[in-house]
Amino acid sequence: MTTESATATLSPSLGGKRRGVLDRVGDRALYLITLLAAIGSVVILGGLTYKVVDLASGAISNNGLGFITTSNWDPVHGQFGAAQFLYGTAVSSFGALLLATPLSIAIALFLTELAPRGTRTPIATLVELLAGIPSVILGLWGILVLAPLMQSTVEPALHSALGWIPVIGKLFAGEYSPVGLFPAMVILTIMTVPIVSSLTREIFTTVPPAAKEGALALGGTRWEMIKTVVLPYSRPGIVAAVMLGLGRAVGEAIAVSQVIGGAPSIGSSLFLPAQSAAGQIAAQYQGGTPDTQSALAYLAVILLVLSLVFTGVARLLVRAIQQRSEGRSQA
Amino acid sequence: MISRKSTLAILACGLLALVAAGCGSSSDSGGSSSSSGPITGAGSTFVAPLMSKWQSDYSSKTGDTVTYGAIGSGGGIEQITARTVDFGASDAPLTPDQLSACKGCVQVPWSLGAVVPAYNLSGAPDNLRLTGQVLADIYLGNVTAWNDPAIAKLNPGVNLPSTKITPAYRTDGSGDTYAFTDYLSKVSPEFKSKVGVGTEVKFPAGVGGDGSDGLAAAVSKTDGAIGYLTIAYVTSNSFNYALLQNAAGNYPKASIPAINAAAATAKSVPPGGVSIVDPPASAKNAWPDSTFTYVIVPTSTDKADALKKFITYALGPGQSFAEGLGYGTLPKQVVADSKAALNKVGG
Repeated sequence: MTTESATATLSPSLGGKRRGVLDRVGDRALYLITLLAAIGSVVILGGLTYKVVDLASGAISNNGLGFITTSNWDPVHGQFGAAQFLYGTAVSSFGALLLATPLSIAIALFLTELAPRGTRTPIATLVELLAGIPSVILGLWGILVLAPLMQSTVEPALHSALGWIPVIGKLFAGEYSPVGLFPAMVILTIMTVPIVSSLTREIFTTVPPAAKEGALALGGTRWEMIKTVVLPYSRPGIVAAVMLGLGRAVGEAIAVSQVIGGAPSIGSSLFLPAQSAAGQIAAQYQGGTPDTQSALAYLAVILLVLSLVFTGVARLLVRAIQQRSEGRSQA
Repeated sequence: MISRKSTLAILACGLLALVAAGCGSSSDSGGSSSSSGPITGAGSTFVAPLMSKWQSDYSSKTGDTVTYGAIGSGGGIEQITARTVDFGASDAPLTPDQLSACKGCVQVPWSLGAVVPAYNLSGAPDNLRLTGQVLADIYLGNVTAWNDPAIAKLNPGVNLPSTKITPAYRTDGSGDTYAFTDYLSKVSPEFKSKVGVGTEVKFPAGVGGDGSDGLAAAVSKTDGAIGYLTIAYVTSNSFNYALLQNAAGNYPKASIPAINAAAATAKSVPPGGVSIVDPPASAKNAWPDSTFTYVIVPTSTDKADALKKFITYALGPGQSFAEGLGYGTLPKQVVADSKAALNKVGG
């Protein structure tokens, strides 16, 4: 072994010039190929943004900001207001994150602090495999299994538990449909949990062991250690993970449109059909008139901005955490 | 050293594979050019099952290939307007605006079908009777329960449940929606002003489904739902469907003869297309919600011969496949008009 590796490291100098020329050409080629790949992705992002904004320009100048505040989507009469789609996207995504965040934190805590060591990696892998399920399959499962179950058991239970509360109770009114906002929310929860939990888990592992041991040494229980050390230390990281999850949820079209019901509405029960922005784009773009397509492109611009904002904020938070932990390790 | 070399090798292989794939696909598309050449079309999903039958039969008879992308009527109109395909197919005839944007296109009816109001209502028999007016009121949200007097009056002796009516509609742009709204707009002035005719419209009430499958799922999963589907879809999935009263006052079954009876009322085909919804009372057994579907071809094209050959086939021997797949058969006078319009192609 040792002699082999010694020859391997010596060979370049022994191989002479021929090999050096080859290496230089190879290096140049590698540089060019990787440069092209990098430029390619920047060009695609720029070109895509330009094209979507260009397509949307007609609708933007026709509708202005009223597009976001009005809710009359009537292609036949040339009226385009997208409030109900943005409402559907907002409620389904935020609702999903409301469910996914505690669930993800619980999974991450279990995997970093509580689970027996040997089981941590297999369970983490299984949770991450959830993220690999094609969304169309999740959507199908949603129609066939999840939504009927929600309609027959979960939704009536939620109605009797929360339906009496003034104002909020309206969201849990006792009328049920096999498709609607609530199943969409649950599907999005399933899709975002793997992302949020794996990021949260990584953040938990960066908590300095000394701090955790300190808390335990002071006589704290495991829960007290988690509450006073792990969670406060990780808070910005968790927010970043949730933001990335939100970016995913906002843009999901296929699985959501399979269970959400495709009927635009604002403020009615979560158990009734609604429509999301991404779902509307996916359903109507192909068959739309030029005016409809421009309005859908406007909707796409809004989605693009939203997901860029979510991802951008998440990146900033992650960078802040990295700087903080570097600062600590230097101190 | 070794690892860097192998990385390069992998990259080189990848590049080679890309280039090879590129060469392969370009030679595939440009290769086989016979006497009249292959043609490409895109559009209507409604005509797609019939089209796939035509494609295989036509290529086995003539050796010419026809490529068709069922991307939806709107997409078909867009692509033929941009001339990225040789022909487009649409269930809704081109509007005057679309026709002028298409610059010298002709639209030719080449098949026809019907949409049927399918419903899911536990405790009710098959073939409840409805009028176009009542159906319009259901979709406008004016009639909201199955035991509404308007429905009860049409179905004497039937014990109707008080289930809420959930009208279901297509979320995506669809020729079915066009045929359905064309019919309801013709029989209900209120529907015409509030909703109108189109492949994508705003329904005031109900639940949406993406594609025929999505709509069918919404209907079959919701007690009290009603939706519009093509006749082939309704019969192959054994949905209950409502009989619609036609202008003669009859309630024909949704069947190929009933579609053909409606089609027979089309005496000629003007360039703007022809509507056969709510046909006149003289057609005693006509299904009231039938519709033609169109092929759109540019008059000046270097594929004129190939296009004419294929469409002539579709209008002639191709019609023999229609009935088995749930389409009507084009009446003689429409075929004659279609062939006359086709002669404009290629000058």
